[in-house]
Amino acid sequence: MAISDVKEYTHLTPEEVDQIGRELDQIRADIEESRGAADAAYINRMIRIQRGLAAGGRAALAYGSWSKKGRRPAVVAGTAMLGLAKILENMEIGHNVMHGQWDWMNDPEIHSSNWEWDTAQPAEQWKHSHNYVHHQFTNVLGYDNDIGYGVLRMAREQRWHPVYLGQPIYNALLATLFQWGVALHDLDLERIRKGEKDPREMKRQLKQIGRKIRRQIGKDYLVYPALGGPGWLLTIKANAAANLARNLWSYMIIFCGHFPDGAMHFTEEEIQDETREEWYLRQILGAANFEGGPLLHILSGNLGFQIEHHLFPDLPSNRYAEISERVRALCEKYDIPYTTGPLHRQYGQALRTIMKLSLPNHLTKSDDPAPPEPPRDRRRKSDAERPARRTELGGWSRTSSHYAESDRGHN
Amino acid sequence: MDPDPKPFAELALDPELAVPVPFACSSAREVDPRRVPQCALSRVCGICGAGLGRPIAFLGSPDEAARNAFHFPPAHVNCAESLLAAYAGVDQAVLGQPEPLRDWALVTTAGFEFVRAGSEQVDRRPTFQPNSLLSERRVVRPLG
Repeated sequence: MAISDVKEYTHLTPEEVDQIGRELDQIRADIEESRGAADAAYINRMIRIQRGLAAGGRAALAYGSWSKKGRRPAVVAGTAMLGLAKILENMEIGHNVMHGQWDWMNDPEIHSSNWEWDTAQPAEQWKHSHNYVHHQFTNVLGYDNDIGYGVLRMAREQRWHPVYLGQPIYNALLATLFQWGVALHDLDLERIRKGEKDPREMKRQLKQIGRKIRRQIGKDYLVYPALGGPGWLLTIKANAAANLARNLWSYMIIFCGHFPDGAMHFTEEEIQDETREEWYLRQILGAANFEGGPLLHILSGNLGFQIEHHLFPDLPSNRYAEISERVRALCEKYDIPYTTGPLHRQYGQALRTIMKLSLPNHLTKSDDPAPPEPPRDRRRKSDAERPARRTELGGWSRTSSHYAESDRGHN
Repeated sequence: MDPDPKPFAELALDPELAVPVPFACSSAREVDPRRVPQCALSRVCGICGAGLGRPIAFLGSPDEAARNAFHFPPAHVNCAESLLAAYAGVDQAVLGQPEPLRDWALVTTAGFEFVRAGSEQVDRRPTFQPNSLLSERRVVRPLG
């Protein structure tokens, strides 16, 4: 069993899989070769804008705190600027710098080893839970902890339990408190519950989280409000609003990356002995893009090009738009699904999945689109030829007969 | 797998060769293939397991340096130097190398690409390709 035996790929011959790999390698090589001053100017410009927004926001809030005249517009403007600064820092700068997208610049500050971002999760833990666990095991059930963040049931093959009836509420809480949920993500609460976590490592991680949380709370809810003097409560509220805006935005963008209809999940068996070409295929089918203008893409850290980000996580984010044109053409050429749509539709589909999967499978229908019908008859294996798969978490099949069996067996 | 970083001096000793076993290895001889992508993507040192610094060091054979494709994960410069010193005099194939090395290459870089093995490659190990080389030197070890 390999990724290329997944139904969406069975029309590809091994030679075509290799050729897709070569074409994607060429895209990577072209970007690496042309990477240079213009890209460096881009990230430096983003950092300047972000720092300008943060400083402007803090200044407006300070003005609003000390002066009664023009307080309301100053506070509204300050909160909006601060919220935008936090979004820009987390999404387009922090996330991408920590992927090593800008390491080639050899900049002492803009480097994956040094960057510490403006959110509660320590950078080191994020690089483990996101860069490694999520990007290496993208959408592999039982491995990728980003599937529902350990809180939500996001795949029909996850066993249903009455606790999931509360999923709409957990989802709202996750969105609102997103940075705190992410802060605990690398602790892996499931492994702690099962007693599988090394206590020494857990203690080390908890200390790191504690330090980071003290720093974040100290900055947003003690130091800046203290500077705000008589308007300290106003500053606290403004900082909370900016953090809330960042939480909701980053939650929505991240959920649009892997949970709209068409983004597939995989099994442990499917990634065994995976070649680079097969790894590429898994990234394409496991991710979903969304469409929008340049500003939307910048504010979402260019994660609207989630497929391209998963194919090339360490290439500069400002190049994903041009890469996407070539990747999309490649997918059309080889009849490979390329999942994309407007942001509202992609998030709507993710939200619908959250609502539906709060219920047992037999009460709902799958929304996964059927794989595209290849125009040529070049199949490698029929369903009957494939070995049976497990039906619980970790086992995965796209066939409707499998769903029917799951419904009977699990609910 | 958790990172579980340890200072170089606290690394466990290999029972056969009595040298420190790096974070990325299952023994002094063998690299643990599960640790390789972890070090690459988590950006942790393949020797001590702590977050990488700048510059990043790669340790390997002169051939690997010539091909700009290393198999041992990235490391701190200090860790790489300490490891070479600790392994001086070991007359065995170590750190995932197929044969004993007298000359080692130690390169430093600002960044690297992590390249998974393609279907046509006989050697199925992923490689690390430094993309902004800062220095390169040869270390000749006296074999025991």
